[in-house]
Amino acid sequence: MRMRIIALSAALLASSAVFAADPGVTDTEIRIGDVNIMTGPASFIGRAVSLGSKIAASEINANGGVNGRDIVIVTEDDGYVPSRSFQALTKLIEVDEIFALNGTSGTANVLAMMPLIEENNLPTVVTTAPNELIYNPVRPSVFTIGASYEDAFFGQLKYIHENLEPENAVYGIIRQEDDFGVTVEAGYDRAVREFGLKDGIRLHYTRGTTNFATEVAQMNAAGVNVLANGAIIAGAANVLSEARKLGMEAQVAAVWSENMPPSVGLSAPAGYDYLVGDYVALTGPAVDEFLERARQYVSEEELAGLNRYTYVTYIGLKVLAHAMEQCGQELTRTCTVEQLRQIRDFDTQGLSGAISFDNDEQLSGTAIAIYQLNAADKTFKALTDFVEY
Amino acid sequence: MEFLLLLVSSGLVAGAAYGLIAMGFALVYKATGVVNFAHGELVMLTSYISFTLWTTFDLSFLPLMAITIPISMAIGLTLERAFIRPMLGEPVFSIVMVTVGLAVILRGVTIMIWGPDPFNFTANIPTGIVRIGSVPFYPAQIYLIVALAVMALAGWAFLRFTRMGVAMRAVADNETAALLVGISVSRIHATAWMLSSALASIAGVLFAVNYRLVPDLWFQGLKSFPAVILGGMDSVLGAAIGGIVIGVIESLSQGYVGQGVREIAGFIVIIIVLMVRPYGLFGSREIERV
Amino acid sequence: MRTGHFKESYGQLVALSDSPVAWSWAGFGIALLIAAPLVAHNYFLTLMVAAMIAVIGAVGLNMLTGTTGLISLGQSGFLAVGAYTNAILMMDYGWPVLLSLPAAGLVAALVSLLVGVPSLRLKGLYLAITTLAFAFIINHLILHNEWLTHGPNGIFVSGAKILDLEIQRGRPLYYFVLAVTVLVIVFALNLQRSRIGRAWLAIRDHDIAARVMGIDLVRYKLLAFMVSSFIVGIAGGLISLQIRFINIDVFALILSIEALAMIILGGLGSIAGAALGAVFLSFLPEAIRYVFALFGDPNSTVYTTYVYEIRGISYGVVIVLFLRFKPDGLIGLWRDARKYWSNWPLAY
Repeated sequence: MRMRIIALSAALLASSAVFAADPGVTDTEIRIGDVNIMTGPASFIGRAVSLGSKIAASEINANGGVNGRDIVIVTEDDGYVPSRSFQALTKLIEVDEIFALNGTSGTANVLAMMPLIEENNLPTVVTTAPNELIYNPVRPSVFTIGASYEDAFFGQLKYIHENLEPENAVYGIIRQEDDFGVTVEAGYDRAVREFGLKDGIRLHYTRGTTNFATEVAQMNAAGVNVLANGAIIAGAANVLSEARKLGMEAQVAAVWSENMPPSVGLSAPAGYDYLVGDYVALTGPAVDEFLERARQYVSEEELAGLNRYTYVTYIGLKVLAHAMEQCGQELTRTCTVEQLRQIRDFDTQGLSGAISFDNDEQLSGTAIAIYQLNAADKTFKALTDFVEY
Repeated sequence: MEFLLLLVSSGLVAGAAYGLIAMGFALVYKATGVVNFAHGELVMLTSYISFTLWTTFDLSFLPLMAITIPISMAIGLTLERAFIRPMLGEPVFSIVMVTVGLAVILRGVTIMIWGPDPFNFTANIPTGIVRIGSVPFYPAQIYLIVALAVMALAGWAFLRFTRMGVAMRAVADNETAALLVGISVSRIHATAWMLSSALASIAGVLFAVNYRLVPDLWFQGLKSFPAVILGGMDSVLGAAIGGIVIGVIESLSQGYVGQGVREIAGFIVIIIVLMVRPYGLFGSREIERV
Repeated sequence: MRTGHFKESYGQLVALSDSPVAWSWAGFGIALLIAAPLVAHNYFLTLMVAAMIAVIGAVGLNMLTGTTGLISLGQSGFLAVGAYTNAILMMDYGWPVLLSLPAAGLVAALVSLLVGVPSLRLKGLYLAITTLAFAFIINHLILHNEWLTHGPNGIFVSGAKILDLEIQRGRPLYYFVLAVTVLVIVFALNLQRSRIGRAWLAIRDHDIAARVMGIDLVRYKLLAFMVSSFIVGIAGGLISLQIRFINIDVFALILSIEALAMIILGGLGSIAGAALGAVFLSFLPEAIRYVFALFGDPNSTVYTTYVYEIRGISYGVVIVLFLRFKPDGLIGLWRDARKYWSNWPLAY
């Protein structure tokens, strides 16, 4: 019996050396992994991310798949906890045998998966966490789409400085105490240095803070009238509502999560027409066209949960599929990575700037468009085109 | 001076929320000896229910609470019957763990029913700014402070003067002796859960109106622990006072020390207080005989 | 059927076990664990490693909470201290893992003194919430001392080697963690039957009475804090080795509550119980996933939207049901089963 087990496993090992060099690809399908926030308070982001993959996959499959193979998305929940992301990706690699990874959750979550990604040379497109920690140092199989928060905030402050020209401008920033907040402050820092802005106050808050009354009072006392609001969702709304209470007149720059409909619903009542910088389109024909296509593949109910994160993963999977298509029938991870590296000016039909990975950081889509909210009717209008900062 | 007043006022608002949540903890602890780890979840669940009532019937605050509170009490009673009552006679520790399991369930159920999206819940409370002296307030913030004052007073009167309240203190004092003099301990337990849920709903609605309705509202339960401990776990009035004290200290420490200290200020305070008074400021001291 | 079982000397009374059956079962169990990687799937090994780390953490917590009766919600804080110590010493100071891992335990033990001293007078839930406060504060300090901990950026942990063998993945990691687990369990069992263990039990049962018997409360309570945190710190170090990246989000406060759930579900005060509880809760999400895969209709929308949430709820339901119907935990279940077999065919 024991001999048989050994023989069997030896045979398995031998066979795996020949066939399973690149798991996840059969004659009819390609399995693409998606590790995502499907539970807990942040799951509306994860669901939107998932939706993007789903729309892209349905669209690709309806048009004949990738060289005849259908794309199958396998989703795992990580609840936004890095240790669970690690476990989830282990499962996707070992049990579901995915070929590549498209949906990724937050920055720390991607970092926790990074050793596994590198070991398996897993082609990975990171779209939801374009943080410098992801692409510096560059990992051979990891490709990042999206601008950093640094660029997003620099772009907004630049716009405010050059176009809105507030009188006696005093700038102030409030940002989260984590990797994301650090990049927000980097953008603020750069704007302060380059334009010689008056830097009134810098505040940090711990994730999960709900009460910002003190911070806003400090801002007010420092005379801030240009506010770089690095708080997110309910936090951002609470900052603005406190600011309104103190009667602060201010131009506000916000994080791109503040263009999602639920965030707007929370923040708009404070009445600030805040700016956001984003690397995907929020308005215009590209978005309308996208919605029209999306309606063919997903229900209205699912579409209600659509937001910017849907566009970014949609773009991510389209790029990945394009690279896989270039490999022809002999689809391998090495080839896919090679093809991804050669992508130049991939057209996203206006959903973002064109995608090119042929740079040292394997980073693209870093162009930012600035939008402004109309708090009265909760719509955004584009102030600038996609610009590199 | 202006700045100090602002800090104190915002500390009062946050502290009132802590106090209301902490009173719910203290009430159940007093009557049953169990720390209800699901209390934060109860706060969240009842405020979501209230939100649905509000969007459906478009009620203003008082009528809304008039419907929300009985529903919340019914939920409290149901949870007590379904989860806690069957555990009667088991070690306190096991019952506490049941509330931990219950917390996990309630969190999931809330997101399943209402989804993870945050909501803007105004309960038709006006949003114009009111000034008291030079300090600006939103009306909802004043509602929160008033609610704490009213509930603290009502809680004190209930425990002091009503038959049920006195019975509850008797049970807290000595459960067996209370049984012997004919008090229905199980009824007292159920009442404590009902009243605690009522407090949870008041805290939940007003918290959500002030700080938005989000599915991590339950975390305020953990954040209110310093208030419960500071007041002494079995003192309902102490919890209310503890909430206010913690709220103001947090606000001041953030204002004058800064950089996120607020999030741990309450916990630092209770460590210091407990070193001096191991039963909190108003908690009853247990005297043991060997 | 066994009739009488007499212990005639002190040595017999405190022996780990005088039953050859128990010894051979333990040997069989270890042999099984050693053989497992030869046949088991890689993902299963990953889960096993996570479960064994949980066992170490639970055994450590059990020493404080189960044996000494000091309820702690500070587990996540001590795990974080252990993980960060191991990561910083390995990556920033180039220590070999065989030194950095015990150091992780030591630092956690020292930090526990800071918690232990102010907590000496506290009991029950007051103590629980004070330890929770410490966990909050530890997380805050880690986040705000970037010069040491890399603050919000987290730390990659790689290149742990023993005699040139990379031990952070696959079978080497499994065997390494298995060895540490066995060591910790043996250490805990031995400690429990010593003077120290019995002193702790006396403190749990009644601390004033224990003092009357001549047990130095300060010393033994602090010792319990230190030994427990040492073990938990090592578990934290192992977490950093397995995941290979740590930041503060890995050590959420919920870990403390899960750890308590483990030792209570397993059966409070028993080392075997703590281990069983840890394994049970570590595999519960997988078991629930499996059940859902069997019965779920993957095409219904309700299912796809809510499956993850429902899985979470099931986790809570299992805990509640277990406490309701088996309040003395898994170890109670085991004892009942054992009694049933050794008394069979008689009912009792």
